[in-house]
Amino acid sequence: MSASTKRVIDARGVIKEYGDGSTKFRALRGVDFHAHEGEFVILSGPSGSGKTTLVSILGCVLSATSGQVRVLDEMITSATEAELPKLRLAYIGFIFQGHNLIASMTAQENVALMLALRGWNHVDAQKEAARLLSLVELGDKVGSLPADLSGGQRQRVSIARCIAGNPPIVLADEPTASLDAQTGQLVTEVLHNLAKKRGHTVVTVTHDNRIYHFADRIVHIEDGVILDDKKETHP
Amino acid sequence: MSDLAFTAPKKAFAPAAIRWRTMITIAWRMMFHNKLKMLGTLIGVVFAVVLSNQQAGTFMGLIKKNTMFVDYSGADLWIVSPSTLTLQATKPMGISALYTARATRGVAWAEPLLYAGAAIQLPAGGTEPIQFVGTSAPRFAGGPWNVVAGSRESLMRPNTMIFEDSERERLGGLNLGSVREVNGTKVQVGGITWGLLPFGPSFAFAEYELARRMLRVDQDQTHFVLLGLEPGADPEAVKKAIMSRAPELKVVGREEFRGMIISFLLRRSPIGITFGTSTVFALIVGFVIVSLSMFSAVVDNIREFGTLKAIGATNGDLAKIVVTQSITFALMGSLLGLAAITRIAAAIRSPKLAVQLPPQMLLGTTVVMILMCVAASSLAILRLRKVEPGMVFR
Ligand SMILES: Nc1ncnc2c1ncn2[C@@H]1O[C@H](COP(=O)(O)OP(=O)(O)OP(=O)(O)O)[C@@H](O)[C@H]1O
Ligand SMILES: [Mg+2]
Repeated sequence: MSASTKRVIDARGVIKEYGDGSTKFRALRGVDFHAHEGEFVILSGPSGSGKTTLVSILGCVLSATSGQVRVLDEMITSATEAELPKLRLAYIGFIFQGHNLIASMTAQENVALMLALRGWNHVDAQKEAARLLSLVELGDKVGSLPADLSGGQRQRVSIARCIAGNPPIVLADEPTASLDAQTGQLVTEVLHNLAKKRGHTVVTVTHDNRIYHFADRIVHIEDGVILDDKKETHP
Repeated sequence: MSDLAFTAPKKAFAPAAIRWRTMITIAWRMMFHNKLKMLGTLIGVVFAVVLSNQQAGTFMGLIKKNTMFVDYSGADLWIVSPSTLTLQATKPMGISALYTARATRGVAWAEPLLYAGAAIQLPAGGTEPIQFVGTSAPRFAGGPWNVVAGSRESLMRPNTMIFEDSERERLGGLNLGSVREVNGTKVQVGGITWGLLPFGPSFAFAEYELARRMLRVDQDQTHFVLLGLEPGADPEAVKKAIMSRAPELKVVGREEFRGMIISFLLRRSPIGITFGTSTVFALIVGFVIVSLSMFSAVVDNIREFGTLKAIGATNGDLAKIVVTQSITFALMGSLLGLAAITRIAAAIRSPKLAVQLPPQMLLGTTVVMILMCVAASSLAILRLRKVEPGMVFR
């Protein structure tokens, strides 16, 4: 296995149960999932199938009930609750359906905030934030508040925030759901570039089959189990 | 592409200084983002600051009225009769106390003082009570002070007294030269003081001998003896020396006497409880307002807090945000509140009502306000602990 196909995410037999007693519900029923460095994986499946649950576990936001998840060389399933924020900072960049920017902070501050959490000092963080914003073609919007940006621009700010500090993994849950088709294509293209040009491992949850063609691999999940894990054959 | 080495991830966690700085920035941004809400909280804090200081200041003013005489007299020691609880003549004491004091080493001066209630006859009929003070010339250790018309020395003229300006109307339109009857003796007004209005009736001064006759105190008796010490004399030593020579006497220091007066006031009147309650009430109002607005600010921004958690902020980081906001509210509110109360106090200042705002009290209420605001944010912090970072995916 070459360096470029290093397994960045390796999940085995992941089970997640919500609630307990009579209300216990098994959202993931033994999921195996993996992704390589620089790979752009799309996770799809019907509503309620467990996509968000899986992404949350991979993103160290949620603990699995059982099973093993390894990120790079670290077994994250053995981490305690208190260690999860550190793991997120170390490995994960998130992109949410709602851009989830801090409304009272400018584009630059939103990105710099991520860097500060990752230990960057103020001056360097501001500089790097401006650089990342011009990378997503928002160099002229550094001082704008989220309310003054379009949906696509906000999502690009959140992409800049997500890769600030260079986490190896980018997890996106329905990043295009609240965007029009054209903007969705553009944003997906940026995500694709993150994998292809910068080497991030990108896992994107989507229903949007108009962006399937970007994927290296599409993983289908239904009722908490992986149905189908195949290489996308381009038309 | 593979030149991008994702290494050393453990070092990604920011040190405390950077986290504080970041969280303070977020706190202020969030706070100032909703200006209307901020104004509402601020008004609550200002209200609490003004109200608590106004209540505590009025209380201090009342205390000051009660200890005013002791403060003005400048006596280092007081000889009082043993049953004395406050500045009120209980039983006269032998005038020999005066001579004992004068003969004691370390005593620079000693003067007798008469201090009793009396009544002034009004021109329209009826009487008004006054706090009658018999004071010895020429030292006038027992007042009068703040003579704004006439002169202190006028007391050395026969049948002459000095009255308080703020009570002139009540005492029947007194003026310099007015003649009135006090305790059955006709006296002339020789001077007017300003601001000598204690808790009870206003002070009225007469020379010691005149006062003694008017109050019908025996020649060999007096109410109090005021003592001034020589520079460097040890008050405790002087006290002991006097009490060893005259064990029937009680000698108290100035601060000790003030303490007796204050504790008497607190025990015998409800003002301690009244003002204590309203001060605490003001603080509780502030606490509730800050508590609720911090909580509602957290609820308003719950998604942003969830996002912060998801991208790596800890519970401690989010607590920093809330604590920063509450301290900011406390400081801004205190600043505005203190500016307001000092103006209000200056505007309503009169001999009748003097709100006292000693710097220690202003500092004290600010500290209390900060502690209170931080405590008030604990509800919000508890709520934040419950925020699940996963919520942001929903
Ligand atoms: N916190 C929770 N408590 C209890 N049940 C939950 C919780 N979160 C999710 N579930 C349940 O787990 C199942 C999987 O939910 P999940 O959100 O992972 O689905 P999804 O594939 O992301 O769906 P969608 O496409 O609608 O976002 C659903 O049946 C859901 O009701
Ligand atoms: Mg979902």
